[in-house]
Amino acid sequence: MIGPQLIFLVTGTMLVFIGIVFIAYSRNMVKSVMSFQAVLFGANLALFASVLGGAGGDRRLMGDSFIIFSILVGASVEAVGLALIAAIHRRYGTLNPEEIRRLRH
Amino acid sequence: MSNDLVAILLSATMLLTVVSALLAKKVSTSLILLFYASLVLGVIFTIYDDELIGLVTMITFAGAISVMILSVVLMTGQSAIGTERRNSQLMIIAAGAAVVAVAAFAVFASAPGGTPAGGGGASMQILGFIWTYRPWDLLILIMVFAASMLTVTNLLPEERR
Repeated sequence: MIGPQLIFLVTGTMLVFIGIVFIAYSRNMVKSVMSFQAVLFGANLALFASVLGGAGGDRRLMGDSFIIFSILVGASVEAVGLALIAAIHRRYGTLNPEEIRRLRH
Repeated sequence: MSNDLVAILLSATMLLTVVSALLAKKVSTSLILLFYASLVLGVIFTIYDDELIGLVTMITFAGAISVMILSVVLMTGQSAIGTERRNSQLMIIAAGAAVVAVAAFAVFASAPGGTPAGGGGASMQILGFIWTYRPWDLLILIMVFAASMLTVTNLLPEERR
């Protein structure tokens, strides 16, 4: 008997690591934002799994508050990232980080 | 047992959708698959008795963030027509079918008992939310979300021309 708590915890951790790897190797900045979203999904799932097996009450309420806080902060960060991407594309005409670094010098 | 199976199916769908989204060559394909991943995450939260978080996830990620990414993709012209159009459509159909299959499984698993939350076994308690809150509404909502997303992204090549 594994239990959904462990399954979701493992899935969340895997999503976080997959997202970090894709952020590191992505050559498109929009894809980097999408990878960040995958990291966010993993973090939220792991947070949810950590309160899933509890007896409820205060612990569940605190977990829910953390998840909502994480969702809102993550969404704000993504919005800022997308605005930066639009500004960078307008200035340099590309979304490849290496090309942007080359064009800057 | 059934409890674990639902969790494993949902986790596998989530991982498959996210990895396909990040590996897809076209950004518009990634966007659609990430949209499905948001829906699956919302379904996970909803099935495990956290309707509020599920709703916030769906509204924030499947709604607002998807539209923002879509507008950035349109502005930057990243959605060029590729040669792998058929493959991406197959991936989209596969991911959509997986979501619908998991949701249908959850619905039919809770149907024979017909017990709302509070009665029956542990798995019935977990799946009770879907049975109580009229499952086909949720399924139809997911289908409408997916169809509208597909329609909007099909407009992208027209925009390029």
